[in-house]
Amino acid sequence: MNELDQAGLARLRDGWISGGAAYELAPAEWKEVAAASSADEQERRLLAIAAQALDVALRPAAPKSLKRRLPLPVLALPMLPERLRPLLRAALKYAADARLKTRVAALVASRGFVLHPMDWMPAATDQESPDIYAPWVDWQAGADSEKKSRNESLTAETWDDFYPAARRSALVDLRRSAPALARTLIETKGASEPAEVRLALIELMRFGLGADDVPFLKSLSADRSGKVREMAGRLLARLGERGNPAGGGSEDPIAELAAFIEEGKSGFIRRRTTYAPIKPKSQAQQARRADLFATCYFGDLVARFGRTEPDFIGAWQFGVDDGADLFLVRMVSVSGGDAAVASLADLLVAAGGRLALLALQLMLRLDSGRKRALIRQILNDAQNLAALNMVEGAEAGWLEWSDLAKGKAISALRSAISGDNDVTKRNAEQHLEALGFLANPMTAEKLIGEVVAAGLPPASPSLSLLRLNAALTENPSQSDR
Amino acid sequence: MQLDLKTIEAFAPDQASLGAAAKLTKRSNWPRLEAHEQLPLIWGECQGSGSNPYRVAFDTSDHGYKCTCPSRKFPCKHILALAWIGATASDSFTRVDQTPDWVNDWLGRRRKPGQPPAAAPARAEGKSIDEASRQEEAPPVESVAAAERREAAQRKRAEDTRSAVSAALDELDQWIADQLRLGLAGFVDASSERCRRIAARLVDLKATALAGRIDELPAKLMALRGEERPDAAIRELGKLVLLAKAWRAAPDDAELKRLVSASETRDQILANPDAVQVESDWEVLGEKIETRRDGLVSHATWLLDLKSTTPRFAVLLDFFPASAGRRSGAFAAGDRFRARLVFYPSRNPLRALVAERLGDVAPGAWPTFVPDAAGDPLAAYAAFQDCAPWLSDCPIILPAGAIALDEKDGAWWQVANDPHGIALPVAGSVHQTLLGIDLAATAALWNGARLELLASQSSIGRLDLS
Repeated sequence: MNELDQAGLARLRDGWISGGAAYELAPAEWKEVAAASSADEQERRLLAIAAQALDVALRPAAPKSLKRRLPLPVLALPMLPERLRPLLRAALKYAADARLKTRVAALVASRGFVLHPMDWMPAATDQESPDIYAPWVDWQAGADSEKKSRNESLTAETWDDFYPAARRSALVDLRRSAPALARTLIETKGASEPAEVRLALIELMRFGLGADDVPFLKSLSADRSGKVREMAGRLLARLGERGNPAGGGSEDPIAELAAFIEEGKSGFIRRRTTYAPIKPKSQAQQARRADLFATCYFGDLVARFGRTEPDFIGAWQFGVDDGADLFLVRMVSVSGGDAAVASLADLLVAAGGRLALLALQLMLRLDSGRKRALIRQILNDAQNLAALNMVEGAEAGWLEWSDLAKGKAISALRSAISGDNDVTKRNAEQHLEALGFLANPMTAEKLIGEVVAAGLPPASPSLSLLRLNAALTENPSQSDR
Repeated sequence: MQLDLKTIEAFAPDQASLGAAAKLTKRSNWPRLEAHEQLPLIWGECQGSGSNPYRVAFDTSDHGYKCTCPSRKFPCKHILALAWIGATASDSFTRVDQTPDWVNDWLGRRRKPGQPPAAAPARAEGKSIDEASRQEEAPPVESVAAAERREAAQRKRAEDTRSAVSAALDELDQWIADQLRLGLAGFVDASSERCRRIAARLVDLKATALAGRIDELPAKLMALRGEERPDAAIRELGKLVLLAKAWRAAPDDAELKRLVSASETRDQILANPDAVQVESDWEVLGEKIETRRDGLVSHATWLLDLKSTTPRFAVLLDFFPASAGRRSGAFAAGDRFRARLVFYPSRNPLRALVAERLGDVAPGAWPTFVPDAAGDPLAAYAAFQDCAPWLSDCPIILPAGAIALDEKDGAWWQVANDPHGIALPVAGSVHQTLLGIDLAATAALWNGARLELLASQSSIGRLDLS
């Protein structure tokens, strides 16, 4: 369309928008084609010509400022094979919230694949998704220029070449492999960061925490941020550094907390010391006790009684006061040493029942062996299978069929599914989802068979994660890669 | 529970349903009939009056059922027919050990009743399966005189319809002239009311399809930015003028009759020797589901011919009442199958029916289509408009490109490797992840103003975008 036609079309358009006859405004050639006996017909013919001109001869003008995003980074693992995507989508659909969807991604990552980005993407603030997704987290957060890939080593020189999620992931790796190097980086680079970022960096010190970290952590007692000082204090406490060396005195919180604990003796032949919580006399006392357990360090408390951390745990009278038990376990989780955490977890898991569930408070501090022991205990008891969903940081895809068959879990699931109680049935279906994450492929396959035999419809959506799990073999074939 | 005819008789909502079911028990109506080897489940695909088959599943143990047809009768004739075949000709079912996804979806959603269904009563009141079978076996024979009377009545009705439609188009012409005289600014603001009024007149005068199209115009305008609406109104009203003129020139043209008054039935299309038939491998590109102002839902399933060297498309179009609730389609995006399609006669054959489904096709990439000589991705649209300038939505295949955002976060498809190259605005919002994926080829609908994305091929495989 030439410029004259375009100008004519613009005049016609303006004329029709405001209303009235526009025939005289049309380009001469158009008028010739549209000439007719009635004025209305002339307008309609012009309208038809104008419609075609707009449709075919004119194209929408693209703005000059069109912005494209950087290509989505290619991750280090292959994408889930197309044939498994329907199963994956079913599992994601059944997963009720972001945490459960992330768990699906973790299972798939444990078998050597990443998800298709149109099926699932980690959120920009996601810290729970598998490390493999760090480049996508940064992309989601708006990374707008290409930076080094994760294959590049993190050093003081390359620090700024990493986006936050990728840097966090690299730092965690470095803390595990070369903790001193990572500490130096946190020390030198963290100082200039804002308090929020500094806190996140200091928090990473928990990986590979050791005695060499003490001087640096002590130096943080002068940090501008109260939260950073608090975090450093907890980490020091885990290393056995006393946070509150001053004993006695009316202002001493450790003494105040110790007053809520009664020292006693038990045993006829071999007398041994016990520690039991004293029942608070009022709501105010109860609140104060909770506050003290939350703010004092475990090392200071046991020193007040002149015991080691594992000794004190061994002497604690669990079951006297559930609230005090919970406060103590949380206290150990936050500021107890590694040996205390390990002995407490072993003690609780061995006790089973409700006490075993207290070990859920220790999850962030437990090694994978103890996490597995806790999960086995929960399955063995089968009283609180819902707790399977609360096991933070559990590994995916390791549960053997013997782990399930030994305890009461299978029979509990079978009776819930074959029973008439809808609530129990729904709960059992949620447990299946949790087991879908934990089981190895063979266990997943067998479990599907068990529950279907018990009456669960073979196509039940609650089986979707188990089905995905069973279809994801440990060693993907070459064609899948 | 054993399936028997007494049970089906009791199960049917009325005698008419049984009669209709009897007609559907012919094997030719069922391109697919399957039964599970272990579970009490039968299912199939029944070729109904829609463009693609209805999916029917039946649990023979508790008589639970699912059909994708829009019938308000429960169970519908398709369920009854499936059960009937199950009771009388169980050999017709292929035994399989896996249920298809759509059956799985249904099984996953349904809650089984606590008790098995009660045994069928000895005699189902007012309903007889024997009578339904007899009706099917012996259709009434029409006398010659009766046939002549019927044909004469048909001719008279056709003549009346043509006169009424001609009057409707006269009214439409006058209405369009009135809108131009009153000003399109006012038309855009009051389009809902004004279009409603003329649409009602057109329905009275038997221009039903045209009325439906005008009824949808306000929604199309409102979906655009304010400054784009007058141009969109000019385009659509201009197309209506052209359509009216084309119909007056050829009132018996099948395509124009379909666009102005009413569509042919499925049987008429299948019996039409002039209807184009294409047997090929097809991929489901995507769906477009719209609830219309007349209370119908239009469900369009777009297909791509995988064996054609130039892009060839087909659309399976079905309508059902919105009150029938959400309906699952017979196909999912990305499905591939071999089939013989029969196209509705048209200058640009697009609307089609699945005449015969011939099995599934393995997934894979799209063929490499020969690009337009001038490299214009909208060349196909221009050719489409040359043939039928009264139509809007044209399926196209776009070359390699990517999605970019403008300052108002509006999405644009932009050709690859040329930041100043052609860019086309995309309708609605896009999945944010798409902004980071290079698209090797994209299938979309272009209406002269917006692209509706259907699917893409990319380095990470096929992307569903509809």
